[in-house]
Amino acid sequence: MNIKTPIAVSLLSLLALTGCAPAETESTEAQSIVVYAGRSEELVQPLLDQFTQETGIEVEVRYAGSAELAAQILEEGENSPADVFFAQDAGALGAVAKAGLLVELPAEIYDLVPAAFSAADKKWVGVSGRVRVLSYNPEKVTELPASVFDLADPSWAGRIGIAPTNASFQAFVTAMRVLHGDEATSQWLAGIKANAVIFEKNTAILEAVETGEVDAGLINHYYWFARAKEMGAENMKSKIGQFGSQDVGNLINAAGVGIVEDSSAAQEFVKYLLSETGQRYFAEETREYPLVGDVAPADDLTPLSEIPSPQIDLSDLDALEQTLELIRAAGLL
Amino acid sequence: MQRPPIAIVALGVFASLAALIPIAYLLVRLSEGWESAALELTRPSTFQLLGNTVLLTIAVGLSALLVGFSQAWLTTRTNLPFTGFFAVLATLPLAFPSYVLALAFTTAFPGFQGFFASWLTLTIATAPYVFLAVSVALVRINVTNEEVARSLGAGRWRVIRDITWPQVRPAAFASLLLVVMYTLSEFGAVAILRYDTFTRAIYNAYRGSFDRTAAAALALVLVLITLLVLYFERRYRGSYTTVPQAMRRNRIDLGGARFFAAGFLVVIAVVAVLVPAGAITYWSVVGSSETNWSELLAALGSSLLVASAAGALIAVFAVAIAVWNLRFRSRWSGLVEDSVWVAHALPAVVVGLALVFLGANWLPNLYQTIWLLMFAYLILFLPNALSAMSTPIAQVPPSLEQVARSLGQSRNSTIVKVLLPAARSGLIAGAALAALAVLKELPATLLLHPTGMDTLATELWQATENLSYAKAAPYALALVIIAGVPALVLNQQARKLISEVASK
Repeated sequence: MNIKTPIAVSLLSLLALTGCAPAETESTEAQSIVVYAGRSEELVQPLLDQFTQETGIEVEVRYAGSAELAAQILEEGENSPADVFFAQDAGALGAVAKAGLLVELPAEIYDLVPAAFSAADKKWVGVSGRVRVLSYNPEKVTELPASVFDLADPSWAGRIGIAPTNASFQAFVTAMRVLHGDEATSQWLAGIKANAVIFEKNTAILEAVETGEVDAGLINHYYWFARAKEMGAENMKSKIGQFGSQDVGNLINAAGVGIVEDSSAAQEFVKYLLSETGQRYFAEETREYPLVGDVAPADDLTPLSEIPSPQIDLSDLDALEQTLELIRAAGLL
Repeated sequence: MQRPPIAIVALGVFASLAALIPIAYLLVRLSEGWESAALELTRPSTFQLLGNTVLLTIAVGLSALLVGFSQAWLTTRTNLPFTGFFAVLATLPLAFPSYVLALAFTTAFPGFQGFFASWLTLTIATAPYVFLAVSVALVRINVTNEEVARSLGAGRWRVIRDITWPQVRPAAFASLLLVVMYTLSEFGAVAILRYDTFTRAIYNAYRGSFDRTAAAALALVLVLITLLVLYFERRYRGSYTTVPQAMRRNRIDLGGARFFAAGFLVVIAVVAVLVPAGAITYWSVVGSSETNWSELLAALGSSLLVASAAGALIAVFAVAIAVWNLRFRSRWSGLVEDSVWVAHALPAVVVGLALVFLGANWLPNLYQTIWLLMFAYLILFLPNALSAMSTPIAQVPPSLEQVARSLGQSRNSTIVKVLLPAARSGLIAGAALAALAVLKELPATLLLHPTGMDTLATELWQATENLSYAKAAPYALALVIIAGVPALVLNQQARKLISEVASK
């Protein structure tokens, strides 16, 4: 008895200690989250700072390319320090979700965003919309082509810039496959291969249209606005325009967010991105389209409802493999 | 044959095991999907990319060798005016990350792209490696043979080809190895300049399809190429010559040809230094972004910290391997030296992801700390230091050490008190070269840096991603300026040697 009591006490206290420890770390963890952000620091950091100010939740951010961050999370697996993955495009989120590394979002978050802009399996939601546009030099292109299919016409030889390695381009080709079939897509790719000047990314295409190296290029709308902000809109030689009604060249895509390690703080962060404050921020600062609620897009943007975009569900764009095969077969990758 | 000191063996073995981690990781990935790997490897485009890569590598290797050797010979051995100034200009391109060079050229000359553009940019980026290595070797070689050959009526070309070149060949080949591996693993510049190489296929496998198996298969092809290159380098390198003592030499009078020679050096300097520096300065004029000075200073501080720490760390390992291989040569030492080169042609993103895998799953306490980042730099840039140190260490006359040993000094203290001081300038050069590479490194830094710590390179990447050239400009300039410091140190070491020799 004499001997057993101290042992029992120390065992009990040991149990209590080990029992306490995780609880303690959990409560401190709730006040801080790690976000892997494939978005640009300059564009999103002010919003994240505002989130910390309002909620007291500290946000540690790692900035890098969306694809590189997806690869990083895939390598980290279950041990990823990331709580939230905020990606530039659906493809990166899809790859992480497919590996089982994103949690299913609760209805109160998932239902906020129109289903067309989120994953069917509820693993991620769209945060802001971006529209595929044709950037063009008005001196060289006096009449906009009615359809993106027209760009495969030999009259466009050497005049059009594309970025086949870019996720937005690949999503657009997937949309083309969904809407028009593999046959038509292959034909278009063969035609565009003959006409196109190949670039690494959207910014390089826009630069080339500005300098007159190509007459036009397929990009996302906000790159034009970012450049206009840097150089002054009056100094821009290029304009952006849309194709005809329902054309797949006008695809609306989304940047999105998924939760890697579930916690109330992570959910609160996602909700903040989808709140009126968050959505207004994207509308005004990044010139993207708000996807939630009644927040209006920036004044100089055509409202989303008036974009002549095709009807398509972004979850339908996850069959990337087949798209890459077609792009490869066309000799563009 | 003497046994190497235990510390040297420990450092060498550690470094070579570290370098094998990325290879092991690639094999793990490959074993997960032979089918996807086979499919990737047998694509026609894979062969085409391989062809593009081989073409570019050979072209850059030849031109970097030619440019670097001429710069070194003209500035160390001839009566050209302003040799010191030209030598600084020949080193300075080292301060520009190659993607910044590429961006600078494309903004200065729209339409600058393709094979020629990539060849030019990479030649500019890599010729300084050859210049530095050959300068150091040229200053130390025995010139008696040259003088004899001249007195027997051999022409200047023949002397260079038959007498001078064989003596500097080991140094030149060691730097050429760096040039070749640099070209094989380069991604940023060739992507901007739109020339498709093998490394780009690796990036596309990660980015487009998130297919890590396919990427691993492609990366292992680069490893095989590296082994092949190493085999040929070892075979044709020749042997280092040691000099009993540095001797006085007369500078060769080029006569009227020196105006052409000076013109040649001026043209290279304008293309390699003036144009990119001018383009970066122009960025800050045309854009509207404002500089956040506290951010710039923080990034500058982090960059200086990681570069100097990594430079010192890498130098320690490189000294150990170089001394082992040059003074206690055995089959093991050769194996260790080759193994640290094996990962060098891998794109940094592959090495970075290997350490992400290792760190997150096995070393969570080190993951995303500065320690794992240092480890990555060790794997990536040990060969840079090694290539700069081998010549100076090899050229220390072994008789000095024999004397020290006969006076009762131990092996260890002979190395520390005699050998290393005699090769001091080379050791500093090695550390500086490694630090320079660390300053400019981007992909592995992005994957492994501690969260919240930004370097000049990562901030620069952010700014250019965002088209904010005006914001990018101060970061690029700061990077070029602080990278210019080790570049100048390197150059000064070489010049100091020359003046020491000249005054004897």
